[in-house]
Amino acid sequence: MVLAFASFREILGKEREICLVEGATVRDLLEELAAARPAFNEAAFDDTGALRDYVLLMVNRKRIDPILDLSRPLQDGDELAIFPPLAGG
Amino acid sequence: MLGDAEKKRYSRQIRLFGEEDQERLKRASVFIAGAGGLGSVISLYMAAAGFGKIRICDCDSVELSNLNRQILHANADVGRAKAKSAYETLTAINPEIEVEARIEIITQENIDQLLQGCDLIMDGMDNFPVRYLLNRAALERKIPLFHGAINGYQGQATTIIPGKTACLACIFPRAPPASVFPALGSTCGVIGSIQVTEAVKYVTGAGQLLENRLLLWDGLSSCLDEMAYGRNVACQECSNSGH
Repeated sequence: MVLAFASFREILGKEREICLVEGATVRDLLEELAAARPAFNEAAFDDTGALRDYVLLMVNRKRIDPILDLSRPLQDGDELAIFPPLAGG
Repeated sequence: MLGDAEKKRYSRQIRLFGEEDQERLKRASVFIAGAGGLGSVISLYMAAAGFGKIRICDCDSVELSNLNRQILHANADVGRAKAKSAYETLTAINPEIEVEARIEIITQENIDQLLQGCDLIMDGMDNFPVRYLLNRAALERKIPLFHGAINGYQGQATTIIPGKTACLACIFPRAPPASVFPALGSTCGVIGSIQVTEAVKYVTGAGQLLENRLLLWDGLSSCLDEMAYGRNVACQECSNSGH
């Protein structure tokens, strides 16, 4: 299950279920979303294909590092929350 | 002590939390960073609620394109310093409080002097570099930082209590890029109001604060969500300030 917030929600919708192969990682899931929605690809990844470093990621409501933890394998039923911080005032 | 006019002015709040807590608000000294969209809502409600000393800081002048959301300022204020316009609006709303206006860019060099004597920091900024300065100053002084930010229909808020909660850099280790963001006054209204409610609760001790909770407002679907957070053990800011 993917929970998207703020501008990611406008692209992906509030929640969506994604079926992945066994052993798929957080990066696999993000790439699947990026392939399905070019606007998400542009919003979440830079020109080199790296995840933008300010994007917040949580697996089962626990924070993971957007650089170090992308290779973390996901389990059936895991929930990934993705959120771009807002900066305006 | 509250005078007769104050007892009348704040009578509905005194019904809510009593005279003693109203006096606590009167003794509170607040720094409001920014007199823009969030700063407008924050300062108007804090002034009206009777926070005794309000220091509001903004380096900019009022532009026509600000007036869709920055309700401290009126059409006649275009071209004037936002801090001056804020001073006039806030003292007109509540002459019982002390308002101080500072026309300055908040920097590493002047932040100590700007925060002198303040018990609470209200975040009405539009960029992360200055927010990180406010965060560090809050940690050093051990005073709370009430964070808020908006973009279009979306908003976020959290309350940072040094020594107790995650700091702003724990939650947002890296700043999103600066940009000209879309802004709706009513989103500033939602988030600024939440920040003021948090500050009132902090001073009066009522309820539960947004401690280690990032509140997310989605005006498009009219949904409030929250994300739970903890301290980041690798956070440079918290560890540097000895927390």
